[in-house]
Amino acid sequence: MSVRHAILGLLAQKPRHGYELRAAFEAVVGGEEAWEVKPAQIYTTLERLEEAGLVTCVSDLGEGAEPARRIYALAEPGRQALSEWLAEGVTPTHQRDEFFVKLIVALASGESDPAHLIQTQRGRLYQELHDLTTRREACNPQTEMAQILLLDKAIMHLEADLRWLDIAEQRLEEVRRQPLPEPELRRRGRPPKGDKGSTYPPPVPVNS
Amino acid sequence: MSLIQTENLTKIYGAGEAAVTALDHVNIAVNEGEFVAVMGPSGCGKSTLLHLIGGLDRPNEGNVRIEGVALAEMDDDALTKLRRQKIGFVFQFFNLIPVLTAVENAALPVTLDGVKPSEAKKRAAEWLTRFGLGDRLAARPDQLSGGQQQRVAVARALVSEPALILADEPTGNLDTRSGDEIASLLRDVTKKYGRTVVMVTHDPRIAAYADRIIFLKDGKVVDETNLERKGAADQIASKMKEIGD
Repeated sequence: MSVRHAILGLLAQKPRHGYELRAAFEAVVGGEEAWEVKPAQIYTTLERLEEAGLVTCVSDLGEGAEPARRIYALAEPGRQALSEWLAEGVTPTHQRDEFFVKLIVALASGESDPAHLIQTQRGRLYQELHDLTTRREACNPQTEMAQILLLDKAIMHLEADLRWLDIAEQRLEEVRRQPLPEPELRRRGRPPKGDKGSTYPPPVPVNS
Repeated sequence: MSLIQTENLTKIYGAGEAAVTALDHVNIAVNEGEFVAVMGPSGCGKSTLLHLIGGLDRPNEGNVRIEGVALAEMDDDALTKLRRQKIGFVFQFFNLIPVLTAVENAALPVTLDGVKPSEAKKRAAEWLTRFGLGDRLAARPDQLSGGQQQRVAVARALVSEPALILADEPTGNLDTRSGDEIASLLRDVTKKYGRTVVMVTHDPRIAAYADRIIFLKDGKVVDETNLERKGAADQIASKMKEIGD
């Protein structure tokens, strides 16, 4: 996902200057803590979009003592890019789970008790769930339904993570009994003379 | 002083080979005004714990103290009296009487306890109004949604003005949205109205409303997470580690 498409969308709504764009972006994603974007990132993105001809920029001379500001507006190619992005589905990202890696490392190395890791993580997730629930409770359903929707999504994900922890806990012994995934060994360095074969398929590792 | 304290609370069902230890030397304390959730896999002893705290069942070993008074030293009459005065129960099924109105249902337990019906109805109407049912006092259960019926059941538990509410899967029979409403209402019962709530649930979403979660497994407390203190979860985790090492 990109900040650039969000910027295009916000400019499709109306022309804005950089500072305003950042504030609008934060409002959409649910606050600074949900998705922090530094001002520099907004400005570099805007520059690139301008170079690519997706947005246009005019200088606002500022009234009275106000300094001049650069106001950005959506150009036709930008509208095209936006509509292409909107039309596509989004592939969910479930990989690169740090906790999963921790659990497997703990199992493989014996450096930590996996059951403790699960308990610690469960405490973390419940704390997070509690905080999100409190925040959602504070939202006004008459005016802040978009925020509620976003919080509900995060809450549902946490619920799934907690359920997964229960399953992991139940299957810990089973995972422990099974061999952990090992990479197939590849010979390193220059192949010995006479061996012109590639390293694919890799040689079958010899059981030690 | 804690409102509830358990000391080595142990409950065994059956005998000999077939004996099942539902609770195994459980020591917990619940403070006044606290909202505590009890969680754990099915068969972990959650409901047994709630029943023993509420004096609905007797332990094989150990004790429950409510406001410092040991339940084990009470005879059945004294226990019944304590249950009626100090404890309100909320269950998964609302068990409202179909022919009675919301206010009559909520007033029923204290009416049976000898409070004048007019006074009982006045108190019931007050609780129902606090729970947003002020305009549904004369509705019968079949005219109320599941969430509304459960609110009547919570009001019914509070009409005797108990210090403690014990709730066993109070949202188990409700859709997500009504479940959230009931959990939020139980939170209000502790935060706005100063009662203590101990709730058994298997639903993480509902447990997240509590101040503290007690985790049971195989009849033992395996963890506690204090949600109201930031960073508490991490503290507890590192403490558990110390104990474990």
